[in-house]
Amino acid sequence: MASKLDKHVLKNGMVILGEPMEAVQSVAFGFMLPAGASRLPDGCCGAANIIEDWIFRGAADMNNRALGDALDSLGLNRFSSVGSGHLSIGAALEAENLAAALELYAKITRQPRLDDELFELAKQLALDHLAGLDDDPRHKVMLKLKEQFYPQPLGRSTVGEAAQLKSLTAEKTRQLVKQHFNLSRTIFAVAGRYDFDALCSQMERLFDTGPQEESKEIELSEKGSKYTHIHNDGAQVHIALMTPTVKPSDEQYYNARMAVSVLSGGMSARLFTEVREKRGLCYAIGASYHGLKEAAGILCYAGTVPQTAQQTLDVIIQQFDRLKDGISEQEIARAKIGLESALIMSSESSASRAARIASDYYVLGRVRSLDEIKERIEQTGAESVQRFLQQNPFEDYTVVTVGPEKVALK
Amino acid sequence: MEFEKRILDNGLAVISEVNGFAQSAAVGFFVKTGSRDETKQISGVSHFLEHMLFKGTEKLGPLEVNKAFDRLGAQFNAGTGEENTVYHAAVLPEYLADVTHLWTELMRPALRDGDFNMEKNVIKEEIAMYEDTPSFDVIDKCRSLYFESHPCGNSVLGTRESIDALTPKQMHDYFTSRYSPNNMTVAFAGNFNWDKMAELIAQLCGDWRRQNVFRETADYAGTIKAERIQKKNLVREHICLISPAVSMQDERRFAASLLATIVGDNVGSRYFWALVDKALAETATMQRESMDGTGAFYSYIRCSSENLQKVLETVKDIFENLDGKGVTEAELTTARNKILSALVLKNEIPMGRLVSLGFNWIYLGEYRSTEQDIADVKAVTVDDVNSLIRQFKPGRFTKFILGPDSTKTNQT
Repeated sequence: MASKLDKHVLKNGMVILGEPMEAVQSVAFGFMLPAGASRLPDGCCGAANIIEDWIFRGAADMNNRALGDALDSLGLNRFSSVGSGHLSIGAALEAENLAAALELYAKITRQPRLDDELFELAKQLALDHLAGLDDDPRHKVMLKLKEQFYPQPLGRSTVGEAAQLKSLTAEKTRQLVKQHFNLSRTIFAVAGRYDFDALCSQMERLFDTGPQEESKEIELSEKGSKYTHIHNDGAQVHIALMTPTVKPSDEQYYNARMAVSVLSGGMSARLFTEVREKRGLCYAIGASYHGLKEAAGILCYAGTVPQTAQQTLDVIIQQFDRLKDGISEQEIARAKIGLESALIMSSESSASRAARIASDYYVLGRVRSLDEIKERIEQTGAESVQRFLQQNPFEDYTVVTVGPEKVALK
Repeated sequence: MEFEKRILDNGLAVISEVNGFAQSAAVGFFVKTGSRDETKQISGVSHFLEHMLFKGTEKLGPLEVNKAFDRLGAQFNAGTGEENTVYHAAVLPEYLADVTHLWTELMRPALRDGDFNMEKNVIKEEIAMYEDTPSFDVIDKCRSLYFESHPCGNSVLGTRESIDALTPKQMHDYFTSRYSPNNMTVAFAGNFNWDKMAELIAQLCGDWRRQNVFRETADYAGTIKAERIQKKNLVREHICLISPAVSMQDERRFAASLLATIVGDNVGSRYFWALVDKALAETATMQRESMDGTGAFYSYIRCSSENLQKVLETVKDIFENLDGKGVTEAELTTARNKILSALVLKNEIPMGRLVSLGFNWIYLGEYRSTEQDIADVKAVTVDDVNSLIRQFKPGRFTKFILGPDSTKTNQT
């Protein structure tokens, strides 16, 4: 399970990380720009979503259509996403096209045209995606949950707020791009088939921008409400809940991951067994670890018809609570093999490797090797997980529901 | 990559492609059965049966089944569609024999009454979940409108009523007739020893009894009906368009994929530039879905009620232009590059490779390497795509819209 890490810091400060993979023809790359939803000033919620679209509408010497056609002609499997900390853009592609793709991405990040007349289109699409959330209650409930759970602005909606989106102008948004596309604080990651020396010299040339100062740290304020209900006359009540736990950088992180796996790592885990198999309350039920650099929690989702919503929530909380009372060796063994297998299998994809090394570097300040992760998982046991749970019990739940009926928090 | 195959005396096909560089191995049981093989009385049985397979055998209860998978660290699941039910697992190579053994046991399920009644609730929850997912619901409704009485229009999930009415005996009879070894394929991909796996399957599945299996595979040109349904909790217009396309057995399926990419890839396509780039619709995509003996192009578009008419007019213009002028060489080159890189990425993962391997065998009865698919995509010409347009007329579609009831735009 050996993994090799390539690392180089450009003169401007941008960190270049690479993980070579033998036996693949593809490569995946991504830029993590420090322009996520929580990094932008108050009153601009959703600006990152406009920016995510607007920067692709022409750059340097290429207009909207020319840039789009150039990206497409390389057969890129493009991605872009707005997270709490970052706006991430990148692609997976056949390795031979990497250099050509980077030329285009350098233009997009350094010299986006940001034309006034195209701003309104980008803004309209951001508003449309926000409106579309009402028809996607499952997505909506998770966004609302993170918004209520994390201290502001960490959980700020990554889709946006209608009034704030509407108030944004081209000029104001252009300023945000200028301030927050800090290439000195950008993390670039690549995984798959590439030549690291050639890549670094190309990146030095493309990002010969001079260092930029770090933007000021964000200040955290209060968390949101313990319970939020959003009415929707749909078929199900979509229940989402979250409880605080240790951050990814914490010594106890692997014990927290093991605890979540015992709850929801597979079909034999407790939530699936108790909620679906024994009681038939849900089709979709699951919990997972969600970590930002500054805070973390364990989140859980279940969708169920109104008649069984209360019972579903009660059984879920009961299962969270009971975890500290005892975990069997068999449960630990299953959780370990599940986590380790998932780790190795996800490492077969160049895109997931590139995403993992970039996120490690941002959150931990270094990249963990696959062997290190495996070893740390191995070091946990029933006793260490239980001790962790007694010291860090699951409590203080934040709950959000979307659907025809409310639930009661007990 | 080496292809291997063995057909057991009872008709069960065992096929594989070994990749010694892979970190994992994947196994799939492909059963050639789905909603198109159901009658109205047993609507939803294929999908319900897929759930019931996880409830175990005479010797193995449901909770033991789940533990057995999890002990192997398996990433496993199953899916039921209109014409296939596929069970698959990816594991580290050392666990492949054990997870395969487990699947072979589950393929001869106990179908206990108690589990059957409990699982009905889960199925009904799944029906409710998809009702709350209009992007799925509209496609399901449009398919049924397009195929009308042709069995490909049958709902995979069934309805609450059909699920309530279903009896264990009906499921048992369906199982016996459809999960026959000559109607199934076992496929392996990734890092493993072929001889060992072939022998394992022969030992464990050699005594499964063969049945006479039949499927109606008449081609179907579709209706060109249009319908709009209003739901009070919706805020956007969800549009699905379906028109005829080539079947899985048709060599022109690569040309049809290229056409769908040119018209409706999520970026850089005709839909993209005319609808999404102009902010008329937030999503607009088109895909080719080929089936056994028939096929269709599916489009999904989402927009505001305000833009609905404009979007429909734009779509009409796109297809009229396509019909009159065809596609360009530049569009074809771009679409080709996109499809080729997606092929490379998908086939790098054993699980991705497994799916191609299994479906090529089921539909074509042959092995196709990734290189063959690449060569066939590269060989498609502008004329090939344009003659498809002339023959299939993708602008003559069945249209279904799910939207809010507050809108005044209720023409279809």
